Amino acid sequence: MELIDAATVTRARAGDPDAFRLLVERHSKPIFRLAYRMTGNEHDADDVVQETFLRAYRQMARFEERANFGTWVHRIAVNCALDLLRSRGRIERHTGGDPEEAEMTAASSDPQQDRLLLSAELRDQVAAAMERLSGNERTAFVLRHFEGMPVEEIGKILGIQVNAAKHTIFRAVRKLREALEPFARSSACNI
Amino acid sequence: MQHLTEQEIVLHHYHDDESPAAVAEHLLACDVCRAEYNSIRNVLALVDEMPMPERSNAYGEQVWSRLRWKLGNQRNRMRSWRTAAAAAAVLAIAFFAGALWHARNGGQAILPLQQQTTAGQARLPVLQQEKPQDRILLVVVTDHLGNSERMLTDVANADARHGINLGDDQKRAVELVALNRIYQQSAVQHGDDRLASLLADLEPVLLEIAHSDGTLSPAEAVALQKRIDSKGLLFKVRVMTAQKGNSV
Repeated sequence: MELIDAATVTRARAGDPDAFRLLVERHSKPIFRLAYRMTGNEHDADDVVQETFLRAYRQMARFEERANFGTWVHRIAVNCALDLLRSRGRIERHTGGDPEEAEMTAASSDPQQDRLLLSAELRDQVAAAMERLSGNERTAFVLRHFEGMPVEEIGKILGIQVNAAKHTIFRAVRKLREALEPFARSSACNI
Repeated sequence: MQHLTEQEIVLHHYHDDESPAAVAEHLLACDVCRAEYNSIRNVLALVDEMPMPERSNAYGEQVWSRLRWKLGNQRNRMRSWRTAAAAAAVLAIAFFAGALWHARNGGQAILPLQQQTTAGQARLPVLQQEKPQDRILLVVVTDHLGNSERMLTDVANADARHGINLGDDQKRAVELVALNRIYQQSAVQHGDDRLASLLADLEPVLLEIAHSDGTLSPAEAVALQKRIDSKGLLFKVRVMTAQKGNSV
């Protein structure tokens, strides 16, 4: 992908619209997945994808050809999603009700729900658990867990120290654990 | 044996701990911590099952087809912006050249067309200087109206529920306001009352965009859209752009 991108990026930087079209077509789906994980909303994720490529187009002259286009455009997408979350007041704010109540709800689940493993309902539980994270927690977690982004870079994006970024990821994992542990018991993933 | 904290285990899972070898050794030796570690891993494995809306293989093409219109609009805007700036510069040069010629030829006033034709051959050079100026004015005003129309269209069609991010439009509006005033004065001087009136109606809307900080709140966006709509401004600008464009 990187080698194919490099040649296409060179053409796109020279103003070839077909080359930019190729880059858009190649990277739209991964950007959508990132945007959806960050926003938790399909419509917002589509908007983030559009805005990401608009910004990428405007900033194309600033892109260093030695860099990886995918990484660069992902970084733009993260910023677009953060802007959207900030505009909705979802950064530094809990969005999904009382964590204690969430814990009680999870703890009182019927044991038979183990059978729902990998079912649609379980996926809804995961989505609900993600919704309970604050904007910063969700962003930090998504970038570390799904994108494999180093904590140093996550800290820069969120404007916080490295240790604070690590702690934000930890808080997110703890909240997810509180909500999802009852459903995880039956799954086997042990060392 | 001192057990690992939950945070140390999470850091180890993501390879963000400072002593990974020591933690790994502890996990092998300690059943309690290993159980804790497995529990966290199982939860995170569930998170990987987070629902993801399907996007077909044609998604990239769909994104591009929506994007193409916006990029085309942006490219056209940049091109017409450069044209407008160049034309404004030509207009200014023509204006000063005319004023200089006028001063060197005895300070005679530029008369309306009918008076000049009855005044005889001596006044012909004045007429010849005036015609290209009028044409340049027509070109730059048409361009100005086109730029204003695109801006009004963007604002009028935006989803106001979440406010409007004006982006570069705010900076363009600042320049459009300045040009709008110049063209309005020129229209008055040329006796083009309809154009002068339209530009007068356009100015407050452009000012509102220019004075924003780059974003409009939902309330501001709705108010501005109503303003554009109530005066039929966009329609008037489109009609005038078409009329002036046909005359160029």
